[in-house]
Amino acid sequence: MGKGTGILVVAEVGEDGLRTGSLELLTVGRSLAEAMGGELTVVVPGAEVVEAARTVAASGADRVLVVDDERLASFTSGAWTAVVVHAVAETNPAALLIPGTTSGRDYAPRLAARLRLGLAADCVDLAVEDGALVATRPILGGRVQTVVRFEGDGPWIATVRPGSFERAKPTGEEAEIVSLTVELGDDDLKVRVVETLHEDTGGKRLDNAERIVAGGRGLKEPDRFNLVEDLARALNASVGASRAVVDAGWRPHHEQVGQTGQTVAPRLYVAVGISGAVQHLVGMQGADYIVAINRDPDAPIFKIASFGIVGDLFEVVPAVIEEINAARA
Amino acid sequence: MRIVVLIKQVPDMNTVKIDRATGKPTLDGQRVVSSFDEYAIEAGLRLKEQHEGEVTVICAGPPSVKDAITRALAMGVDNAVQIALPNANDIDTLTLATVLVVEIGKLEPDVVLTGQNSDDYQTGHLGPQLAELLGIPHLSSVTRIDGGDSEFSVQRDTEDGKQVVTVSTPLLLMAMTGLNEPRLPSIKGMMAAKRKPVEQVTADLPSAAPSLSWSEPFVPERTVTGTVVQGVAASEAATQLVTWLKEQKLL
Repeated sequence: MGKGTGILVVAEVGEDGLRTGSLELLTVGRSLAEAMGGELTVVVPGAEVVEAARTVAASGADRVLVVDDERLASFTSGAWTAVVVHAVAETNPAALLIPGTTSGRDYAPRLAARLRLGLAADCVDLAVEDGALVATRPILGGRVQTVVRFEGDGPWIATVRPGSFERAKPTGEEAEIVSLTVELGDDDLKVRVVETLHEDTGGKRLDNAERIVAGGRGLKEPDRFNLVEDLARALNASVGASRAVVDAGWRPHHEQVGQTGQTVAPRLYVAVGISGAVQHLVGMQGADYIVAINRDPDAPIFKIASFGIVGDLFEVVPAVIEEINAARA
Repeated sequence: MRIVVLIKQVPDMNTVKIDRATGKPTLDGQRVVSSFDEYAIEAGLRLKEQHEGEVTVICAGPPSVKDAITRALAMGVDNAVQIALPNANDIDTLTLATVLVVEIGKLEPDVVLTGQNSDDYQTGHLGPQLAELLGIPHLSSVTRIDGGDSEFSVQRDTEDGKQVVTVSTPLLLMAMTGLNEPRLPSIKGMMAAKRKPVEQVTADLPSAAPSLSWSEPFVPERTVTGTVVQGVAASEAATQLVTWLKEQKLL
């Protein structure tokens, strides 16, 4: 494979449509494509993904490849690896950008091994320097970063942490959408998906949430978590939790934010009784606005908070709910 | 059932301190088994308890990794392979995978277990790359393993919920938080660990040029300057917060 100049982005479609991380990759993909002097191609794998492909086509892509196959209805590493290998062969890009979601982080290394290419994980910044891709990624729980430099002709591969870039907006132009057929063999389909279980999330999910209110150990008892739920209701937000309270069994794992839970990037993140261990901060520091309510003025969460209240959450949270309701009335 | 567990020895994240002046972390403190790898060890032991067989742990790194291996053996792992490698973090994951796969392949495992990622470099690359080189399927973010001798039902965490899949051996599973509660080594286990066989192997590093390199760790700059309200009544703090939320057009 020769040295390409284009950028290939893999879009990801979840059960509720195009994941917002895909639009973030369009933003960084566009700037990298301009730096390399190449085209921005987006491949959209999945089943019934025409709608998502249209959104991508209207958001700054030069070309969109759709792989619409009912066997891609639910993610499997084997199928995705085969599809993206095909798309790489089709486009010969300088760089391949993959969302740093559970799926992206799952198949990207497999793909890199199959093609014997270099891969940088969970990148928070990407740039072109001297014609090569340079990626910044957090390590050691996010307290420090390292800069990865790619060697050779590529394609270079990076998974990109959700929330690291602005989402691309409609440009007013529509890119060409091309349908791509990928042969999937038995070896690509060794894993059979039975179903996806949905825990009761109260209809609100975290990965695409615009607002999240999360609670931590400062709530002291599981029963007091209703304060978090009430505040979430007042703010029309989803409920999140720190690892401590999930490990303690107060809250389900799908609500966990942080290194071993979900990485979120909402517009507003309210941390209630969360001190802000680095493992938590890496999962939410991409929020536009962070509000922290905690009794310990030295809690690390205040270092990244846009608005902090040092005080007793059992007094502050009910007062905040009352004020919000009064403001709305 | 032949079970192989890959473990990594890492600095204890609770002892890592960042020197603010140089931006360099101190990584010479206590070294421990990477946290997700403990789930992988526990999962391996439970599979052995359900299906019989043998659990082998493989660990590559400097001589200090014998402590990580000893812990795994004390938890109940049967035997180990220690691969001498000056620093596992100086080579890229695909190169490391090509080294490890040689030793894994010799054991002809039914199930290979790894942690979801390491505590220090956190790439999560090794599991899928080993599986690809071994020509077997892998599953990441595994939170539940059920099933029989050759077919497993596995649950994995995804953004959409718990994905339930079935897959046949041989396969590689990457252990995630929630999969189990790793056991602590017993005194008896610690005594027994001393007598368990540990095979010493020297890594044969490929000569091919690496596809990437990385810088020394540094502390990222933070630019956030926030408002912190302290020492006022709850109602006053609430009023200020709601005013601020309105100013930011969040209400």
